[in-house]
Amino acid sequence: MRRAPVELLAGLAILIVLLAVAFTKPGAFAQAGAIDLLNRLSAPGTEGRLVGSDQLGRDLLARIVAGAPWSLGVAAGATSLAVVLGVTLGLAAAEGSKWTRSAILQVANLALSFPGLVAAVAAVAVLGQGAVTLILVLGLLSWALFARVVYAEALAVRTRDYVVAARIGGVRSPTILWRHVLPALTPSLIAMTVFHFADMLVAASALSFLGVGAPLGAPAWGAMLAESRPYLYQAPWLLAGPAVALAATVLALNLMGDGLAKLLSPSNAGRRR
Amino acid sequence: MGTAVEISTRKVLSASRPGNGLRFARAAGKRCLELVLLLVTLSTLLFFLLRASGDPAVTLAGADADAETVQAIRVAYGFDRPLFVQYLSYMSHLARGDFGLSLANSEPAMKAVLWAMPATVSLALLAMLLTVVIASPIGAWLGAAPDRPERRATAVILYILQGTPGFVVALVLIQIFAVQAGWLPAIGRSGLASWVLPTVSLSLFLAPKLARVLAANVGEAFKEDYVRTARAAGAGEGQILVRHVLPNALLGSIALVGSQFAFLLGGVVVIETIFAWPGLGRLLVQSTLSLDFPVVQAAALAVAVLVFAAGMLTDLLFLAADPRLRTQGDA
Repeated sequence: MRRAPVELLAGLAILIVLLAVAFTKPGAFAQAGAIDLLNRLSAPGTEGRLVGSDQLGRDLLARIVAGAPWSLGVAAGATSLAVVLGVTLGLAAAEGSKWTRSAILQVANLALSFPGLVAAVAAVAVLGQGAVTLILVLGLLSWALFARVVYAEALAVRTRDYVVAARIGGVRSPTILWRHVLPALTPSLIAMTVFHFADMLVAASALSFLGVGAPLGAPAWGAMLAESRPYLYQAPWLLAGPAVALAATVLALNLMGDGLAKLLSPSNAGRRR
Repeated sequence: MGTAVEISTRKVLSASRPGNGLRFARAAGKRCLELVLLLVTLSTLLFFLLRASGDPAVTLAGADADAETVQAIRVAYGFDRPLFVQYLSYMSHLARGDFGLSLANSEPAMKAVLWAMPATVSLALLAMLLTVVIASPIGAWLGAAPDRPERRATAVILYILQGTPGFVVALVLIQIFAVQAGWLPAIGRSGLASWVLPTVSLSLFLAPKLARVLAANVGEAFKEDYVRTARAAGAGEGQILVRHVLPNALLGSIALVGSQFAFLLGGVVVIETIFAWPGLGRLLVQSTLSLDFPVVQAAALAVAVLVFAAGMLTDLLFLAADPRLRTQGDA
């Protein structure tokens, strides 16, 4: 077993701290929506309010914790969609006919040549808000990143002796892709997926911040950042809380992505995009 | 998006091998064809998405409109015609540069877009310039001796900054410099001071990545033969860094700068909204929230053209910056 890279350990440490905060706050999930107008905008550190309370007197830390499933869930959904679509189409491009290949690569080029956030805003405008829309839009806009990497790597793997041997032995194309080509791609795919998860988390938060992501009232981190703006002067902790949660999660994910990339393929160290 | 630029660059590079002027022209033609394809796909998608999401007449009229208004809009916009006929007429209008009238003020949608474009482009140019100005010295300083303790610490800070979302950086900067200290205006575009926070926010988000890539490139360049030669010829370390290492390190970062510039043209949606900056991104969000579809369409297509132009510009910059890529045939 190789020694775990320092990035991976640091990322895991941050993640453990975040989880510990989430779970040691007793009753955090139940109280998240509890409005307490007597204690509006109380500062961090006032009794029972570790991170302060928001404009409706709700406990900020509880709300951040309650917002995690929404933000992380959307990011996970979008990432899964992008990975499944990207891997399938990337493999299809590598294995398929010339026509299939150029069609897939051309569509991937189109998808990548357009700024995702702009397309997402326009698409959400048309399709309406909500977690499912957001997952669909973000996933459909970002699969091409995976398709391109999978295509390029699969082309190289396809010519290796063991794959050629399997082909001569009469193994059919889908089986070859699944049993012989895909496993060779997993190390780079794992690191890439972690990075992509972080990117999707930021994108979902940015869209929610703009008001085109989370439905009204949902405790998404981006929406909480947007809600904090009228209270910037009185209650800066409303900004700091969700901002720290988002930045720390992204940092942990990036560190883990870098660490995994090093751990799984020492020759391919560092973040490649 | 970095890969997109790198690959397109390679396309142009391969087209500029000795005596291949024709191939270069063909590559340029291919890029133009790609742009047309991109615009056609994008407008087609927007058209069918709008139709698929429900009755567009109802969407345009708003949720609380009565049946007569909806019917009037349906006839006025031709939504009562077959879908395919609608699509053809829509595309032929687009081809003639007619994006329809804004639903908000009945002015041509493209007028609002063209009015907003300079604000976005100038902000992007300024932010890119500041990013390069910030990142170059830091990258050179880090890359020259990356293992010294204070530089290791700087590298960690850069890593953290690189991962912090741009809009979070902007909100924190507003909190510090506009709200608490009151030194700079938080929103709007009025006077020089109002440019500071948007530009700095964007640069603080982009510069760490550029600095890290530059540092890596500088570190690599120091191992090259030409550095050893210069050192043997008696050049000082400072001269080697400025004359030999830095130009080559910058050259290797052009692809990243290009993709960052493309990001600035297309990705400043959030920053423009935060700072109430009268640019394309804010126009897009506002028209999205007010369901002003003609403007959404025009703005999205405009952003696509801008981002595409940035990609082409990067390719040209590559050719201009690296004499090795220029050949007699193309000059």
